[in-house]
Amino acid sequence: MNIDNVIAEYREALEEAPLERVARWKASHPTTKAVGCYPVYSPVELIHAAGMLPVGILGGGNRLEIAHADSRFQSFVCSIVKSTLELAMTDRIGFLDGIVFHSICDPARNLASVYKRNFPKLMVEYIHFPQNMTSPATVDYLTAEYHRLLESYTELSGIKPDDEALRRSTRIYNEQRKLLRDLYALRATQPQNLSTVETYVLTRIATLMPPEEHISILKEALAAIRLRDERPKDRIKVVLEGSFCEQPPLELIEGLEAAGCYILDDDFLTGWRFFTEDIPTDGDPVRNLAESYLRRSVYSGVKHDTRERKSKHLIDKVKETGAAAVVILAAKFCEPALFDYALYRQALEKAGIPHLYLEFEEKMWIFDKSRTEVETFVESMLFD
Amino acid sequence: MMYSAGIDVGSTQTKGIILDENRNIVARALIMTGANVTRAGDNCFKELLKVSNVPREDVAYIVGTGYGRYKVTFGDAQITEISCHARGACYLFPNTKTVIDMGGQDAKGIRVGPDGDVKDFVMNDKCAAGTGRFLGSAAEALLLNLDDIGPIALKAKNPVRLTTVCTVFVESDIMSYLAQNKKVEDILGGVHSAIAARTVSLIRRVGIEPEVTFTGGVSRNIGMVSALEEKLGMKINVSPDSHYVGALGAAIFALERAVKAKGELAQATA
Amino acid sequence: MAESAKSIYQGQMHLLQKDMMGRYFARVTRAAEQGDGKAVYMLISGNPVELVQAFDMVPVYPEINALQLAVKKAALPFIQKAEEIGYSMDNCAYVKADVGLFLGDRKTPFATIPLPSLILCNYVGCNVYLQWFEHLAEYCDGEIYNLDIPFLRDPSGKPSKADIEYVVKQLEEVIVAMERITGKDLDWAKLKRIVEFSAETGELWSKVKSLTKHRPTPFDAYFDSVTMMAPLYCLRGTEDGLKFFQTALKEMEEKVEMGQGPLPEERFRFVIEGPPPWPFLRTFRDLFSKWGAVAVASTYSTVGGLWEFGFKHDPNRPLESIAEHMLEWNVTNRNFLQRYAQIRRYIEEWNADALVIHSVKSCRLFSAGQGDMREYFTKDLNVPTLLIESDIEDPRYFSEAQIKNRIDAFFESLEHKKIVREAKAAAGGAA
Repeated sequence: MNIDNVIAEYREALEEAPLERVARWKASHPTTKAVGCYPVYSPVELIHAAGMLPVGILGGGNRLEIAHADSRFQSFVCSIVKSTLELAMTDRIGFLDGIVFHSICDPARNLASVYKRNFPKLMVEYIHFPQNMTSPATVDYLTAEYHRLLESYTELSGIKPDDEALRRSTRIYNEQRKLLRDLYALRATQPQNLSTVETYVLTRIATLMPPEEHISILKEALAAIRLRDERPKDRIKVVLEGSFCEQPPLELIEGLEAAGCYILDDDFLTGWRFFTEDIPTDGDPVRNLAESYLRRSVYSGVKHDTRERKSKHLIDKVKETGAAAVVILAAKFCEPALFDYALYRQALEKAGIPHLYLEFEEKMWIFDKSRTEVETFVESMLFD
Repeated sequence: MMYSAGIDVGSTQTKGIILDENRNIVARALIMTGANVTRAGDNCFKELLKVSNVPREDVAYIVGTGYGRYKVTFGDAQITEISCHARGACYLFPNTKTVIDMGGQDAKGIRVGPDGDVKDFVMNDKCAAGTGRFLGSAAEALLLNLDDIGPIALKAKNPVRLTTVCTVFVESDIMSYLAQNKKVEDILGGVHSAIAARTVSLIRRVGIEPEVTFTGGVSRNIGMVSALEEKLGMKINVSPDSHYVGALGAAIFALERAVKAKGELAQATA
Repeated sequence: MAESAKSIYQGQMHLLQKDMMGRYFARVTRAAEQGDGKAVYMLISGNPVELVQAFDMVPVYPEINALQLAVKKAALPFIQKAEEIGYSMDNCAYVKADVGLFLGDRKTPFATIPLPSLILCNYVGCNVYLQWFEHLAEYCDGEIYNLDIPFLRDPSGKPSKADIEYVVKQLEEVIVAMERITGKDLDWAKLKRIVEFSAETGELWSKVKSLTKHRPTPFDAYFDSVTMMAPLYCLRGTEDGLKFFQTALKEMEEKVEMGQGPLPEERFRFVIEGPPPWPFLRTFRDLFSKWGAVAVASTYSTVGGLWEFGFKHDPNRPLESIAEHMLEWNVTNRNFLQRYAQIRRYIEEWNADALVIHSVKSCRLFSAGQGDMREYFTKDLNVPTLLIESDIEDPRYFSEAQIKNRIDAFFESLEHKKIVREAKAAAGGAA
C-alpha cells in the first residue's frame, strides 16, 4: 500500500461527498443500522455494542448548496447547523436509522427538535452532558443517561448488548484512539514528515467506517509515515484551537501550513479522540464510559470544568509541544469558540504567546484573506 | 546606483514604486488591474521603468504585494500587504504606531514597531459593514458621487444616529431619514460616524497608540478623516501618497533584501 | 386604519414595582458599597432564589443588570468595551454588556453591582450561561458552582428520576457552600416558609396571567408582563413579593370587571415569542399599539418559571420542588417542540389571532430555528405568523424602518381579512 495514494484517495472522497461512502457501505450491509453522531463527542461504544455503525455527521462541506435550511435557521446561526439540516431535507442521509445530538450549544440543541419534527421516521436522540464536574453525583447521573440512551439504541437495533459486548466495543475504540494519539504524537515531533491535512484525513475517516477497518488503515499509515525522512522547513510552529465542531475546508487547513506554519497540535475532530488514556475495561462498562467523560477526557470549548481554566490547558499545550504561537481558527457564529477566544486572547497576551485569530465557514471557497492573514502573522514572527 | 521596486496588485488598481539605494522615491505608477492580473503587474513595472529611466538590470530586487502578489511572476519575493502597509506608513510618518487601512472591501488595523514591523493586526470579517462598500451603498441611496460625500458629511450639524451598520439595511434607514426630511449632510454625517465607530472598535483590538496613520483608498475621504479623528480624539496622519503605501512598503522590503544580498556577496568575495 | 393612542399602563402595580425594585437595587448597592450582605450571582431561567433568600444573601442577576443598561440606553459603551478586548460582534450582547461593566467599576445608573460571594451558575437550558459565568469567575476570581440542570429530552417531556436526584444532590451541595460562606446552618423551617411564599406567589402570578384570556385583555402580556417579572425573580419567596402579586391580581381583576384594556380598542390579539428589544421597548410597543394589537400571552414571561400550566412549589418537599421548577417548569429548559406546544396552547386557550416571533440575535436559545417554528404555525396550523429580527441588548441590530415595514404589512393583511370576514358575517346576518 502506498500511503500517499491512500491519503489522496480519501481526501478526494472527503472533499467530494464523504457520506456517499457510508451510503455504499450501508447498501452492502442491509441488516446493519447506522446512527449519525453530531459533533462534538458521542459515546460511540454504545452504538457499536448495540450492533450498529456510528457515523460522524459533520456538516455539508463546501460542495453542498444550502437552499432549504436557511428558511429554518437565521443568518446569524453557524453553517454546520444549517448544512446538517440541508443534508436531511435534500435526502442525502437516507441511510441513517437514527441520529444523536448533544448539549454543545443552543442552535445544535434546537436542531435536534427541528429534526424530530421534520423527519419523524428517524430516531432522534439527545444527550445532555453534565456541566458539573465537581459533584460526586455527576457520575451517577451520566451513567443513568447512558443507560437511557442504550435502551433507545437497543430498541432501534433489536440487539441488547451485555457487559462483555460493551467491553469489547470499548477495547476497539480504545485501540483506535490510541493509534490516533500516536499519529498526533508523530506529527507533534516530526511535522515535516506528516502534514496536518494528512493527519486530518486519517482522523476524519474514522467517522465514515467501522472502527476495525479504520484501525487497520491507521496501523499501515503509521508504519509508512515512520519511514519518512523529510528536511524541516523554515516555518513557525503553532498550536491550532477552536475548530472542534464545524469542519474547515481541507484547502484551508492545507493553506495554513503552506503559508509558513507547522501545526503541532489541533482540536479538529476532538470528540473522536476524546480521551487522554484508555477507558478501563474491567468492571461496569457503562459506568466506566461515564466516569471517563469526567476524569480522562480532553478539555473542550463545550465542556465547562470549573476546576481548571481552559486557557491554562491551552498554554500548557503550547509549552508541552514547544510551539511558538497559537492560531485560533473559529467557525463564524460559533458562540462557544468565540467566547473561548476572548479568554484565550487575554491569557495568551499575559503569557507572552503570540496568536492569530481567524474565522472560517465550512462553505468557504476563497482562501485569499486567510492566507494573507497567516502570511502576515508568519512574517511578523520571522522578520523580527 | 542600485534600485528596488515594489508592485502592489490590488483588486481594482495596481500600484508601483521604485526606490533608489538612499530610499528616495524615484518613480510612481498606477494602472487599472483589469481581468489579467499577471499582465497588470508586468505593465505596471514597465511603466515604472519608463517614467524613471532606470535600466531593468539596475533594479536589484522586486517585491510583489497585494491580493495578486503571487502573480508578480518576475518578482523576487512576495510579502503581504499588511506587512507592506506597516513599513510604508512608517516611511511616510516615522512616528507611526498604529495604521488604519480602509479599502473598498476591507478594513485593517495594524500595530507597528519602531522599524515598521507588524506587532499585531486585525481585519474585518467578510461583512462589508465599516468599509468603503458601506459608503458606496450610502452614496447610491442618496444618488451622489462617492467622491463628493466626504465634503458633504463635513457640513453636518446634527448627524443622525444610524442604528444599523449593515450594508444591506443602510439604504432603508437612509430612506426613512429622508422621509423625515433630515438633511443630506446630517445623514452622511451619521453614516461616516457609524463607520468610524465600527472601525475604531475593530482596531481597538490591537490597541491604539499615537501616531495613527490612515492609509487605503478611503483615506482620501476628508469626511472619514474627520470622523475618525473625532472618535479617536486625536489627529491622524494622511499622506497624498496614501494609496501607494503598499507598493512603497514592498519597495522598502526589496531594498533591505537587496542591500543584505549585496553585503553577503561582498563578504563572500572578500 | 384606526390610529390608536399610545398607551402604557400606569396603575398601582407599576408604582409598587418601582418602589420595591428601587429598594432591591438599594440593597444591591449596599452590598457593593458597604459590604452589607453577601451577593449570589444567578441566572434568571428557573432560578432557585428560595435558597438565596433562606440564607439572607442578596440575589444578583447579571441578566437584569444587562437589560437595565439596555432599557436606560446605556449598554453600547459597555458592549464596545468588551468587543475591544476580544469579544465578537456575534457573541451574546447581554454577556458583553455585563463583561463591560466588570471591566470598569460596576457602577450603573440604577445600582452598583457587588462582587459575588458565590457565582451560582444555574445552567437551565441556555448554554451561554455557562460561558457567561465562566468569564465572570475569571474577572472577579470568585467561587463558582455549576448547578447543572439536565435538559428535557425524553419524549414524555418530563425529567427522569435520575435527573431529579442529580439536581437535589447538587442543591444540597449548594446549601453546604452557602453554609460555609455565611457561617450559619440552613434554617429548614425558614426555607419551608419561603417555598410556601413562592407557592402562593406563583399561584397569584398564574391567576394574573389567566386574566388575559378576557376580551379585552386587562393588560399586555408582553409589555406589561415584563413589569411583573422583576419582582418575580428578585422578590419571590419574600412577603414583599407576595404583596406585589396580591396587589397586581386585585388591580387586574378590577380592570376585567370594568372592561378596561391597555388600548382604547382591542383590534388584534397576538401571542409573542422571544425576548423584547430592550433598548427600543417603547418604540416597539407603539408599532403594535398603532394597530390596536395587544399581546395576550408571551413565552418570554415564562423564562423564570412556567406557573400557568399548573406548577406550584411544595413546602413539604422544598428541594425536590425547587428541582422540579428548575427542570420542568420554565420555558428555557423545555425543548423547542415543547415550546411550539406551549405557544399553540396560548393561541387556542387565550384566543389569539396571530403569532409574532421576535427573533433576537443575542439569544440563540430562543431564536435558533424560529424559521421552522414559523413554518409549523403557518403551514401546519394555519396561524398568521410574523417574524421580525432585532436584538435584546445591542442597539446596532434594531432597524426601525425594517421592523415597521414588516409589522405594518402584517397587520394590514390581518385588517383586510378582518374587514372581509366582518362584511361576510354582516351579509350573512342580513340574509
